[in-house]
Amino acid sequence: MTKINENEDAHEFRSEAVSLWRITFGPLIWAVHFAASYAATALICAKGGAVEGLRLGIGIGTGVALVAIAWLGWQAWRQWDLLCDRDWENDQGTGEDRHQFLGHAAFLLAVVSFIGVSYVALPALLIGTCR
Amino acid sequence: MTRFKRPTRTRTLVALAGVLLMSACGEGRQSVLNPSGRDALLLYDLALVMFVGALVLWLLVGGLFVYVTRINPREMSRGLAEGLIIGGGVLFPVVLLGGLLVYSLPLMQAPREADEGMRVHITAEQWWWRVEYELPDGSRVTSANELRLPVGRRTGLILNAHRVIHAFWVPALGGKADMIPGRETYLSFLPEEAGTYRGQCAEFCGASHALMAFEAVVMEPDDFAAWLDAEAQEATPPQSEEATRGAQVFAREGCGSCHTVRGTQALGKVGPDLTHVGGRVSLGAGILGAEAPDFVNWIAHTESLKPEVAMPSYDHLSPDDLAALAAYLGGLE
Repeated sequence: MTKINENEDAHEFRSEAVSLWRITFGPLIWAVHFAASYAATALICAKGGAVEGLRLGIGIGTGVALVAIAWLGWQAWRQWDLLCDRDWENDQGTGEDRHQFLGHAAFLLAVVSFIGVSYVALPALLIGTCR
Repeated sequence: MTRFKRPTRTRTLVALAGVLLMSACGEGRQSVLNPSGRDALLLYDLALVMFVGALVLWLLVGGLFVYVTRINPREMSRGLAEGLIIGGGVLFPVVLLGGLLVYSLPLMQAPREADEGMRVHITAEQWWWRVEYELPDGSRVTSANELRLPVGRRTGLILNAHRVIHAFWVPALGGKADMIPGRETYLSFLPEEAGTYRGQCAEFCGASHALMAFEAVVMEPDDFAAWLDAEAQEATPPQSEEATRGAQVFAREGCGSCHTVRGTQALGKVGPDLTHVGGRVSLGAGILGAEAPDFVNWIAHTESLKPEVAMPSYDHLSPDDLAALAAYLGGLE
């Protein structure tokens, strides 16, 4: 193997290593949003604190989380590159297929995380009391 | 195969119809299908929407499945297949579940709403209910194994438990709530129809869990106020000769070390308050009637009627003594 090939592989593996991390970001935001919303609600309700402030906080947190997930989803969608090659499966062992498959997985996880964050926020939106 | 399938299917349908009919037993005194309060009605509607929605969904998906595999089995275009998967598999359920969430979440508020000036503290014991009505001045009127509520007014129920976890449930009036030792839980009822309903402990709590029930009597507001006034009074011991002798048996057997009869020497707190026990609809926490033979039966056979209960069976008492006790207790109205 030539020196140049090795360098190319090293570069690609590095980019895929980042991408591998990236597919976890959607669910990670969902998890943080979930834990923060429930913890804040439990604490503030137990201490008889301000429900309106809590709802506003959850609202802002939800907005930030949804925008971040939407951005991640958009990046992943471009990485998947479905509309250009109409290739759903990306099942060849090539660098390009690996790259697009990770985009595919990250996109689907972003969709699930977006729905999850929205549903978690609904009770705060619809129920204005700690009871 | 088909020959066996048909009768099985018919039998299943008959069984299901039977289950539905059974719920009509006892005029729905303990049935979610007989909603007699605002909260029970909300739950009833919620269940109806969910069940009918699930049925429609099931028919749609099943119908689609039959259509594409039996009625019109042909290769689909890629666009149609992708549309079905994304539209039917992702968008449709997300929108449907989202809609159901938006519809059902606000329904959770009503049973937690604050009371309209009337609070009842209920403590679950093994296996009976300590019931205390909080008066406007903060003092409490103690009763047991029976919950009386005014119609058309939201009453707050402050729930607690002694020793083990129980759950409070009057299906005809509203939802269910856990009763946890050392932790207060809250539920409120807005009854809309006067009547006598039945509640039941809904969390396994020991040997006699199934025998831990109570009557929930919903009364017109005036009747309720009069009843509460009377319930707050001290006992007026019945004056007949037999009842007077019953009071002596009650004192001699030491009943007063566990039971309270306000206005007498009996001040025990271990068992149910008996000050107005003769005015109640049931005995033994909803398992017996409240006639003289029921009193005799309960006192003489407590442990076989309610296994592992704290009160011993007083089967050593003579029939005369038991009858006298029944006359005394039944007269405490």
